[in-house]
Amino acid sequence: MIKLTHVSKTFDGGRSYAVKDLSLSVDKGETLVLLGSSGCGKTTTLKMINRLIKPTKGVIKVGGKDVMDHNPVDLRRQIGYVFQGIGLFPHMTIEQNVEIVPRLLGWSIRSRRERMQELLNLVGLPAESFAERFPDELSGGQQQRVGVARALAANPAYLLMDEPFGALDALTREALQQQLLTLKNQLKKTIVFVTHDLHEALLIGDRIAILHEGNLEQIGTKKDILDMPATKFVQDLFAIKRPGTLT
Amino acid sequence: MSLDAMVAYVVERLPELWLRTGEHLMLTGCSTLAAMFIGIPVGILLFRATYLRGLLMGVIGILQTIPSLAMLVFLLALLKKIGVLPALIALTLYALLPIARNTLTGLEEVSAEVMEAAQGIGMQEYQQLMMVRIPLAAPVIVAGIRTAAVVGVGIATLSAFIGAGGLGQFINRGLALANIKLILLGAIPAALLALVVDFSIGAFEWGLRPERKRDKKGSVQSLMRRLAFMLPVALVLISIITYFTKPGWISKSATQLKTGHRIIRIATKNFTEQLILGEMMAQLIETKTDLIVERRFNLGGTMICHGALVNGEIDLYAEYTGTGLTAILKHPVISDPEEALNHVKKAYHERFDAQWLKPFGFNNTYAITVREADAKKNEWNRISDLGNTAIELRAGFTAEFAERPDGYPGLRQIYGLQFGEVRDFDPALMYEAMAKGEVDVICAFATDGRIAAYNLKPLKDDRNFFPPYHAAPVIREEIMKTHPKLGDVLSLFGGLIDNATMQRLNFEVDGKKRRTAEVVEEFLKAKGIL
Ligand SMILES: Nc1ncnc2c1ncn2[C@@H]1O[C@H](COP(=O)(O)OP(=O)(O)O)[C@@H](O)[C@H]1O
Ligand SMILES: [Mg+2]
Repeated sequence: MIKLTHVSKTFDGGRSYAVKDLSLSVDKGETLVLLGSSGCGKTTTLKMINRLIKPTKGVIKVGGKDVMDHNPVDLRRQIGYVFQGIGLFPHMTIEQNVEIVPRLLGWSIRSRRERMQELLNLVGLPAESFAERFPDELSGGQQQRVGVARALAANPAYLLMDEPFGALDALTREALQQQLLTLKNQLKKTIVFVTHDLHEALLIGDRIAILHEGNLEQIGTKKDILDMPATKFVQDLFAIKRPGTLT
Repeated sequence: MSLDAMVAYVVERLPELWLRTGEHLMLTGCSTLAAMFIGIPVGILLFRATYLRGLLMGVIGILQTIPSLAMLVFLLALLKKIGVLPALIALTLYALLPIARNTLTGLEEVSAEVMEAAQGIGMQEYQQLMMVRIPLAAPVIVAGIRTAAVVGVGIATLSAFIGAGGLGQFINRGLALANIKLILLGAIPAALLALVVDFSIGAFEWGLRPERKRDKKGSVQSLMRRLAFMLPVALVLISIITYFTKPGWISKSATQLKTGHRIIRIATKNFTEQLILGEMMAQLIETKTDLIVERRFNLGGTMICHGALVNGEIDLYAEYTGTGLTAILKHPVISDPEEALNHVKKAYHERFDAQWLKPFGFNNTYAITVREADAKKNEWNRISDLGNTAIELRAGFTAEFAERPDGYPGLRQIYGLQFGEVRDFDPALMYEAMAKGEVDVICAFATDGRIAAYNLKPLKDDRNFFPPYHAAPVIREEIMKTHPKLGDVLSLFGGLIDNATMQRLNFEVDGKKRRTAEVVEEFLKAKGIL
């Protein structure tokens, strides 16, 4: 379980807030989507969960324990993270990229290799033809899949995904979304999924949190939100743009 | 020169070329390696400790701007040693900047996104550094090493100044003897060496490029990549082999073992006259004693020779009274030659445990020099004779003479001379200008071979303005004690060479490009000494 209580973050000493007084929780096995336009604090929220960024105020608990009480390295190894910019290691092969967290955790070479093959097949990149390639030999979509495989490699209980399908053409994105839905049902992980795409949010989220300028406008299931928009912002969002994209 | 003659010239010097190339590679290789072992950690440290950056990069940068010769002299004073060690230290200091700076830049340039991913998936700090940041910075770091090594090949030519050998030995000797062939014999291999070093480290860099890694196994590219990685390694191996197979290395060290302390090390500064005097002393000692002479010729100037003598790195070299008095002892000029000699004798004995022996006879001081024809026509014999005609004359002086108090400024005062026009020249060009009639008066060195060759006439310094510069062997007293015979042998030179003789000897080597050893042998035989 992931739980945020009155979490705020300012980068400029309080003149403006990237995240303002955010409280929400993600239940075990649940997928929560953070939906909001660019710059509303989604990435900042994810980074605070795995301690890449320290909150200015508030408490974040992962598995019932305050993240500040976790050893940051151990914490991060338990949380799979798909970065917004993908962030594959350009000097490592796809195989090495996917294996990296198991390697850090000291898995045997054999179990690493098995896991790598399993995962590459899972994300639709057969190991035989992709394992030995380098990231810049892959298309953007293929790289994002490797990013997902890397995040899943050590079988973490938690998964943070920062616009993992952004910047892809519509067809690829749809294929990956379907794949994620299958994965999600198979793997039963606690997932925080960030997007600025309404359609994607509705498709993937068990619940959706709508952020606007650092504030949480509404959090609830697809049904809650469509039937009972909590604020004017939410109402407008779905009235005008359904199904569309926030930018 | 015909091609045949050129080939013969090189072939004749092949053993020494081999030796110098080996020394050169060793100097460059060791200093670059040392600079890597220091520079890369320093670069990493600076990357981590931002607050140290300004200070340390500043210090390394300043080291870089110290002129090489000044650096060598400074190290000599500090280490009390000539030879390989100070050369290696100087080269290492110069190589430090490109390596440390490129390491820092390379580490900084790694994309923040990739580093955030490294941190975000749970790498420890050292893992982020070792597994991601350094591998990604490697091409930039190697580029720094490449720069350092290539520049190092160039700077290593200066090592010859302090007796560390290398290809600079040829260049130095060539410069001293105004012998272009010798200069090229050092400069061309050095340039080729720089190209080879550049190419092989460049190949390594090429092999490191990320896109090279995807070359399929067994493909031509992947084979080339392997070769590229092996090139620098091969170069290091070749250096080691060349160094240790250098001719005479084994036999020489064997004689050293056998003869123990029966070696005398003779040094010279880096100009023709010094080389001639050094060779004379060497040949004489070789024939008249059973000592083995080690020639450590062509050191880069007075301070280096003197420092080496005082520190027991060399045993003997020829010094000039005026130089000893003013440059070493910082004493005001003494115009009386006898008195000057007595003063340096006493002071060297007391302060440096070194002894001045009988002077060779000539006085290599400045000489106000005119064309012989002009002198005849105007009846000029002494500087005073120039008198009021000076204002109609054009003078060509070296920049140094124009400024030094014992140069033109003092001359003007003592003789009341005022030339119509004074131009600054490089020493070699000054004689040319005189020969072409572009100037009428120059400040020659009294023993310069060109005085006779160009039909010039040095005027007598009738008011004893120029300090005396009589050359004499200066020797460590310790070696005089173990080999008392040396004093008698070297005193054979006392008064043997007057100014005209020295001029002629200088011209044989400088002007006619004859070998120093040959000229010296001929002279000593003619004098009945050998
Ligand atoms: N490291 C940082 N320093 C300063 N400001 C930042 C930093 N990271 C994010 N911000 C600011 O915080 C706000 C939220 O950013 P972010 O969380 O990246 O938004 P999103 O992911 O929703 O597009 C933006 O205004 C952004 O400029
Ligand atoms: Mg973002």
